[in-house]
Amino acid sequence: MQSNGHDQTAAVRDTIYRAALALDDQRWQDWLELCAPNFHYKITSFSPEINKDMIYLQGSRKEMDSLVRMLPKHNTDHSPLHRHTSVYTIDVSEDGKSAQAVSSVVFYQNMLDGNNSHIESGETRLFLAGRYVDTFAIEDGAAKFVDREVKLDNRRLDKGSHWPL
Amino acid sequence: MPARNHTQWSANPPLETGEWVDSRIYSEQEIFEEENEKIFKHVWVPVCHESELPKPYDFRTTTIAREPIVICRGPDNEVRAFLNVCPHRGMLIERRPSGSFLEGQPSGNPKRITCMFHAWQFDMKGNCVYVAREKEGYQDRLCKENVGLRRLRCEVKFGGFVWVNLDDNPAQTVEEWCGEPFECLRESLNAEPLEVFHYHKAIVDTNYKLWHDTNSEFYHDFMHYHNRITGFNDAYFARKNFAYDNGHVVVGTFEVNYENYEGFESRAELSFPHLPPNQWYMVDLFPGFNFNLRGSALRCDIVTPLGPNKVMIEFRGLGLKRDTPEERMTRINHHNSIWGPFGRNLHEDLIGVAGQGATMGPGTEPRHILHGRHENETIHDEIGMRHYYGTWGQWMNRLPSEPDKPYTATAVAAE
Ligand code: FES
Ligand SMILES: [Fe+2]
Repeated sequence: MQSNGHDQTAAVRDTIYRAALALDDQRWQDWLELCAPNFHYKITSFSPEINKDMIYLQGSRKEMDSLVRMLPKHNTDHSPLHRHTSVYTIDVSEDGKSAQAVSSVVFYQNMLDGNNSHIESGETRLFLAGRYVDTFAIEDGAAKFVDREVKLDNRRLDKGSHWPL
Repeated sequence: MPARNHTQWSANPPLETGEWVDSRIYSEQEIFEEENEKIFKHVWVPVCHESELPKPYDFRTTTIAREPIVICRGPDNEVRAFLNVCPHRGMLIERRPSGSFLEGQPSGNPKRITCMFHAWQFDMKGNCVYVAREKEGYQDRLCKENVGLRRLRCEVKFGGFVWVNLDDNPAQTVEEWCGEPFECLRESLNAEPLEVFHYHKAIVDTNYKLWHDTNSEFYHDFMHYHNRITGFNDAYFARKNFAYDNGHVVVGTFEVNYENYEGFESRAELSFPHLPPNQWYMVDLFPGFNFNLRGSALRCDIVTPLGPNKVMIEFRGLGLKRDTPEERMTRINHHNSIWGPFGRNLHEDLIGVAGQGATMGPGTEPRHILHGRHENETIHDEIGMRHYYGTWGQWMNRLPSEPDKPYTATAVAAE
């Protein structure tokens, strides 16, 4: 169990960081490849203003697939989002077939558009901050996302985004 | 016409007065200050929803025209509003966005609004009930009775929104101010209690009126792929704009075909009470408040102008208080898919107004902003903006197309 557990946490960590790179690079299909068929995604936040847990976006794997395939139809701020992710904890189940991980995540916006790109392009701004709370299925030494909750600290989101975080 | 030189570019367009405005109304500090004094300090502002302070002693804080405000629910269940300013030495009394006065605070007792600075305390009606070492310091010269909070006009109306007016003697009640435009939604909003399920805010470098314009004109549906594909049909192009007194506008309803967008579904089953399936009404209130009912979810935008070229927009989503968890989840998903911070349309709308803000900052040269489309008052007719700026001109006594001149009624604005 000890050495197995070590392999499994390594697999979970690997999947989280590969997902971070895929999302940074807007390789949406590569990201979805890391997700199990029953994957569920959501972006949440708690609002002290209205005293409610809120869901800002959610979808099944199929819905997220639709969402990313429709992106070219929409007008989107071109400034890329990059994230810094640190995996804090990984808890592997007794049977070694699933795991939960909590990571800290900070999203930076590398301005391309901004309001006036002549002035703002090239600058990096803090965009959002929060945590990834992920659940994984582990099979044949590989970890796949079955659930990802992006728990944002923010309620001020300014222009927001069309992209999954 | 080919590209124009400066004289051609600055010449008045071949349209009637009232069919364009001068961009200085979006960029000048002096006009912004005057709007706070002449408009925002005298209109009814829907500051929050009663479901945000559901229990006695719950409170919310907000701001109108730079004046901090606290709204609280008394033990008698009445919602009241006060300036959130201590009568002693001007401290902001409550610092949090929301909470309850039921618990004591480090400087004060339970069930009191306490100023932390020198521990003066007030009840839910704004009476001062405690001044620390009152007699020792003020003898018989000043007492609690002299230092109550500043109460503000406050009404709960139209589906439970809390309306506040900084003017002690507003010219109209909330009903008189906006009852007519709300007629189309009155039954739907008043049938049963509503509840806020969504809140987020944006601070954007643009003028608040440009956000309101975007909410009231639908010509910009060309930038929303979602609206083009689910909406552009005969019924859409027949959708009417209705102008009401006080600069308010209502955009009439039609049936949206949500199924035409991949991944979307009909909203018929969860329509608000008394609302036919998949209908969509929009109420735009002068000077910058928007109520938008797309079948299953109600959205409300409230602007707080922060400068000539800076606005905070608060976005709320509402459903029925009695929703089952499944119903609520469906409403949230419907709301988010278009209007959420990660939805398909809101991001585009915000890019649009931020782009306008980028070309109309303070000190940029005056430009003509065209509001001249006439299409029989239907969806792409810009009558909504013309009507709004007619009212704006009257409140400001400035001609929107030549803001240095006093307002005169134009044929177009009066249509
Ligand atoms: S400023 Fe509020 S008690 Fe002194
Ligand atoms: Fe829009």
